[in-house]
Amino acid sequence: MEQRLANTWRMTVNEKKFIETALLSDLRIDGRRPFDYRNITIRFGREDGSSEVQLGQTHVMGFVTCQLVQPYRDRPNEGTLAIYTEFSPMADPSFEAGRPAESAVELGRIIDRGLRESRAVDTESLCVVAGKWVWSLRVDLHILDNGGNLVDAANIAALSALLTFRRPECTFGGEDGQDVIIHAPEAREPLPLTVHHLPIAITFAFIGDENTVVIDPTHFEEAVMGGRMTATVNANGDICAVQKAGGEGVIQSVIMQCLRIASVKAADITTKIEDAVKSNNTERALRKIKRHPPSVVVDVIKAGEKGANNLLKENMEKPQLKIEDSSFSQGDDMDIETESSKQDDGRTRTDKDASFIGGPSSWDPYSKGVNADELKASLASRVAVTSPKDTTPLVEPPVTVTDLPVTSTTAASSSTETTGAGQQTNKEKTLKDAVKPKHKRKKKTSAS
Amino acid sequence: MESKPSNSPSSLVDQHVFPGDVVLDLSKMTNQTIKLGSSLRQDGDAISAMKAGKLRFAKPNKYWVESSHKRYVPCAGDTVLGIVVDSKADYFLVDIKAPTLAFLPVLAFEGGTRRNIPKFEMGTLLYARVVMANTGMNPELACMDATGKAAEFGPLKDGYMFESTTGLSRMLLKSPPCPLLETLGKKLAFEIAVGLNGRVWVNASSPSIIILVANSIMKSESLSPVQQKIMVDNLLQRVQ
Repeated sequence: MEQRLANTWRMTVNEKKFIETALLSDLRIDGRRPFDYRNITIRFGREDGSSEVQLGQTHVMGFVTCQLVQPYRDRPNEGTLAIYTEFSPMADPSFEAGRPAESAVELGRIIDRGLRESRAVDTESLCVVAGKWVWSLRVDLHILDNGGNLVDAANIAALSALLTFRRPECTFGGEDGQDVIIHAPEAREPLPLTVHHLPIAITFAFIGDENTVVIDPTHFEEAVMGGRMTATVNANGDICAVQKAGGEGVIQSVIMQCLRIASVKAADITTKIEDAVKSNNTERALRKIKRHPPSVVVDVIKAGEKGANNLLKENMEKPQLKIEDSSFSQGDDMDIETESSKQDDGRTRTDKDASFIGGPSSWDPYSKGVNADELKASLASRVAVTSPKDTTPLVEPPVTVTDLPVTSTTAASSSTETTGAGQQTNKEKTLKDAVKPKHKRKKKTSAS
Repeated sequence: MESKPSNSPSSLVDQHVFPGDVVLDLSKMTNQTIKLGSSLRQDGDAISAMKAGKLRFAKPNKYWVESSHKRYVPCAGDTVLGIVVDSKADYFLVDIKAPTLAFLPVLAFEGGTRRNIPKFEMGTLLYARVVMANTGMNPELACMDATGKAAEFGPLKDGYMFESTTGLSRMLLKSPPCPLLETLGKKLAFEIAVGLNGRVWVNASSPSIIILVANSIMKSESLSPVQQKIMVDNLLQRVQ
């Protein structure tokens, strides 16, 4: 009993008085103004759907996983989303392992309400077979350090994890086409979730008399406050949820002021989250592309030094080819299913490749990305000629891409020419299956 | 972890020692009385360190190990800042960031008799001295110095208290004063009470000065003296 008494964190009478007096002159104990947020740092792990958020001293980790389950009876074509919180005892001396405390349940409920009621995550897109199989998302939030304002930090962690999460793609297969095949991430690119908007939770603390409001309370301020209110707002100005559980009574004008401030802060935080997610996506794409063996890099550098101007000219053509490609495949109805999916993958890969920054600095990064895409496309077209209905073309390009650059030793310009031609043949192959690609490629090289 | 038995007592002074290192060998030393400070323990003839840190020596004969932790191990003679948790008939229960609560006898005040027992409510901040600290027993405090005078001990009013590591407290209590406090003291007027258990109390006329001093102290822990001075100069320039 005494051990527990010795370990608990205590506040002195002096601190309580001081926090209130300082607030009378609009000062907070860490030097912030009443409506300033602490620094938010968002980091991501190697796996998709894992995020780590630091809000001052508060530290929260979010993790998203998914599973195929049977849907609820009353919602047969919607997936499910569940939030689990874990208040680790290392975060605060008052947290205990085991049964979640009242504050833990409240936190989970606030985040759950913000995401579910506002329909931020599109659950209908998680349906695979209506009435039989749907994706069930599970968001785990681990509180690592309690420096105050856990709700906001946990909410940001949940949102960033959901934005970077990728669920496996699944298609129908089997004898009667009723079995669902879940593809491994190496076979098919996993898909991101559809998130319509980002509901951001902003917490206000009422300290002293009811007119003193502070945003983003620290641990000290939470111990001193009389009441608290959390408003979940999104960047469009919609109020997704408001939570005020007990505490001091507050007049209506103060609440309206808080909601107005919350919508301003929500816009700030939304941009921060989106920036972090974007930079994470580019990093992720970089990681995926770096499968070239070292010899390729050396060749590319040599070629770059040789004929940089020549290559730049070549690469200027590439954007136009790309635009044509997308317009062709969109307007084409005769596409075989796998072909279209291949095109889609090629396009999504292009988007990622476009941000690839590698090789010598004299190269234009955008064109370098298009290069890699065309390499893959040309090889895919070559393989697709032999077996169009196979799903293997998607697996092979990563292997054959490495082969092609190795064989073309000297000027990389030659490879770009063939890839340019390859791009053309890919388009035309879908329109005219009967035409042999070899002839077309020869014609195109003479034309360009 | 290797134990380094030292031939002469001064060989390990100001060196880093680890738990288990034998820092002094009494059999090799002549008739001397040695005072052992914190984190040193006697096992027969060998004095070994119990914590990782720097071994220090003060004339004429005091040895101790200096380390910086967020927890405090009470040692007799230390001055600490305590928070009153409860009051019993004969003593107050005071929290000093030690493994157990400390006892502050009701009569351990200057001129304290049964008639004028002070009344401290829960959460009162006290500046006290550790009288006795043995392992396994609750430490005992007193709000007067060894001679029985008040000497600034007692409850602290107003101001702001924050917690940090024991290393920071020692740095703040150095004499000559550390450059941080010197630079702050030249421009601002404030009073400060430092407890060796890692608690610091700051008071000044306006809240902004208190916040400035408190935050600059908290940030200065890992900085060298020169960096401290630069940081404080920057901070003061920004404010004024």
